[in-house]
Amino acid sequence: MSGCWHCGSPLPAAAPSARVAGVDHAVCCHGCRAVAEWIGDLGLADYYRLRTASATPAPDLGDASRSAAALARPELARHIVRRLVDGRSEAIVLVDGVRCAACCWLIERTLGLVPGVAEVGVNASARRARIVYDERVVSLSAVADALARVGYRALPLDRAALDDARRRETRDAQKRLAVAGFGAMQAMMYASALWFGAFDDAGVVTRDLFRWLTLLVATPVVFYSAGPFFAGAVRLLAARRLGMDVPVALAVALIYAGSVVEVVTGGPDVWFESVSMFVLFLLSGRYLEMRARHRAGELSDALARLTPVFADRVEADGSLVRIGAIELKPGDRVVVADGQAVPADGVLDGETCRIDESWLSGESAPVPKRRDDTVRAGTHVIGAPATVRVTRVGGDTAVAALVALTERAAATRPRLALEGDRAAAALVARVLLLAVLTALGWSLVDPARAFSATVAVLVVACPCAFALAAPAAVTRTLAVLARRGVLVVKPDALEPLATATCVVFDKTGTLTEPRIAIDRTRMLRESDRDEAVAIAAALAQGSRHALARAFALQRSSALPATTERESIAGRGIGGVIDGRRYRLGRADFALPWERAPAELDDAVVLADDDGAIAAFAIDESLRPGARAVVDALARDGVKLAIASGDAKAKVERAAAALGIDTWAARQSPADKLASLGEMRAAGERIVVVGDGVNDAPMLAAADVAVAVGSAADVAQAASDIVVTGSLGTLADARALAQRMLKILRQNRRWALAYNLAAVPLAALGFVPPWLAALGMSASSIAVVLNALRVGASEDVAAPTVAEAELRRAHA
Amino acid sequence: MTSLAFLIPLSILILAGAGVALFWAIDHGQFDDLESAGFVPLVDADPVTADDPPKVDP
Repeated sequence: MSGCWHCGSPLPAAAPSARVAGVDHAVCCHGCRAVAEWIGDLGLADYYRLRTASATPAPDLGDASRSAAALARPELARHIVRRLVDGRSEAIVLVDGVRCAACCWLIERTLGLVPGVAEVGVNASARRARIVYDERVVSLSAVADALARVGYRALPLDRAALDDARRRETRDAQKRLAVAGFGAMQAMMYASALWFGAFDDAGVVTRDLFRWLTLLVATPVVFYSAGPFFAGAVRLLAARRLGMDVPVALAVALIYAGSVVEVVTGGPDVWFESVSMFVLFLLSGRYLEMRARHRAGELSDALARLTPVFADRVEADGSLVRIGAIELKPGDRVVVADGQAVPADGVLDGETCRIDESWLSGESAPVPKRRDDTVRAGTHVIGAPATVRVTRVGGDTAVAALVALTERAAATRPRLALEGDRAAAALVARVLLLAVLTALGWSLVDPARAFSATVAVLVVACPCAFALAAPAAVTRTLAVLARRGVLVVKPDALEPLATATCVVFDKTGTLTEPRIAIDRTRMLRESDRDEAVAIAAALAQGSRHALARAFALQRSSALPATTERESIAGRGIGGVIDGRRYRLGRADFALPWERAPAELDDAVVLADDDGAIAAFAIDESLRPGARAVVDALARDGVKLAIASGDAKAKVERAAAALGIDTWAARQSPADKLASLGEMRAAGERIVVVGDGVNDAPMLAAADVAVAVGSAADVAQAASDIVVTGSLGTLADARALAQRMLKILRQNRRWALAYNLAAVPLAALGFVPPWLAALGMSASSIAVVLNALRVGASEDVAAPTVAEAELRRAHA
Repeated sequence: MTSLAFLIPLSILILAGAGVALFWAIDHGQFDDLESAGFVPLVDADPVTADDPPKVDP
């Protein structure tokens, strides 16, 4: 494996080596060397054995320590540090660079070594660290410095409120689940004693004792664990709608109340164990759903990650001060370094610069800017540092507007309620009516039997099987898909995924990634092609530009050493190799003294002082799985389309390569949204697959939104499904969703048939309540077992859930 | 049957105790992160102590 031992980046020719635990490892730069050796010296080299993903390249230590110092500024510290009652301080920071669970381990161990740090907790999925420390012994800056030395950056997080809300939700759900689990377990134990007639000869007193015990353990399940169902039902009824919570709450309340009456009056049967199990099953499904939702993140949180959290403000005396981006005000001047993101909307204060706006517009080439041109927050400066005069901050920026557009689109999306919701609600209404009629009828004929017959109707017709039909199948599908690397955030999306008629793809980052087309590279002088590639790759080494990275991937052999490397205002890279000065970049940069021929316009040109050497054509390669998913969907008869913000020629080429006829180029986020509206008006059910921030509004408006794993946080937060593995698994997901839908319909038909057969018998008084309870349990179990058939024919080689989660954490 | 009079209240008490302990654990963040905790037992080596941090030229 040829790559930096620490971060996995391509190695330069004269790679430095890091000595860790007595073994030398090649690393890409001195930053990585320092980090790796420091980790070794701390005795934490186990990190390299445990990790499942390469680390992020080591941050520039000088830059990191300026940021660390900014953390302690009172203006910033007040957002992240909380004073605890015992005099210690608690800081919650976002840790940049956390890739897998081993990172958490490394951070916790490292900070544990810092004197004055009392407690450290790192959450891998949220990338947050909670640090409790004694301010009299150690400062927050020193803690952040310790983090930087092992390769992580501590960022201020103005999101404590969101974090608290999530933590409360998680803990609440866990407690309810625990109570339901304990309660159901105990109720089942006591109930089986009753069922098997253990006390038939011990008399009514013992039997009643056990009934009171079941009542005792089932009561917290109904009143505490099932609380969310009651609250949801009240909310739905207040809004004059009948959702799934209504029949669930009614069923739980009626069975519980009926059983209490039975216990008090000494009637023949109780159903406490059934109601407890029912609540436990439903809560388990909801808990899984909540975890998937939390992992995908919230929109507002994603916005916070798009823009940098620090800014270098130019003070009145011309000096630079590192401050938090939330402190910026319009009129401030900030300096943005090469490759860094702009912290707020503003205008360029220097002469020229180049800005990579790809995530905002989908345009893959950097855009040149002149003095007073607008620069957007979150876009990246390429080449040389730029000075920006801030005009708008925070919620007024273009990024914030984009997120607002996304949120609005999400809110107006036609929610396809699972049809079962309405069916179950209608069933409940009818059963209630029937129960009332039964009670009335029997009180006229034989009042003594009225109560038991009414209870039998309610119990036998309990919509449990109905209510469980969907969650059981959906929960099973979620688990199978997660093992495959497909994370379903909003389970409602499975039904439209199965029935979708049209799939719209974004191009860049979703279907394709940039690549240097070696076969279409033209040599402009007698020279060795491999040598030209090696020189270009050596020059591109270390640059952050997407094309430069593509060169780095092309390297064929060890790279020659480069000196006097310079990166010029996003136009290209220059450097000296073996005593010759080379330039790599746009034709007008590489060949400054001659008018470059027009055919070199799109190419990257390599030249030395004697003239051009080679022209590299820029191509795009299809991402892994793109072909597979397109073919599978086309076979399925689904219409396919591409909507991209990139140039026409590139979109056309990608569409032709994949055999997709419908495509649109140069689309702004609003254009994409508009064309989506047209398709929907034509009656299509649309799946949108995207990765960029510019796709977020379109994703939010789609019937099903699918984000690829490498997608921007905003895109992931706006999506229903996140594909963390190969794109090809999306086709599998669709097949699985279709199978789920089939089983779901089977389940519903079965529940309906059972109800149609049993309810009239119960109403006529032929069904004793114990038989009704048995029938109810049996129908529920049948439904759950049937749901387990989803994905039963899975191949064993599929990755496990844990692996999928880890992969997700790296993404 | 008389043993029931003793065993059943005992089981209820144990159940309540387990519930209280679990609530305490949840409230103290024991279940907030279910992923990284799995890595801790995989590591045996003790890191160097805080009193004696090594010196490295950055």
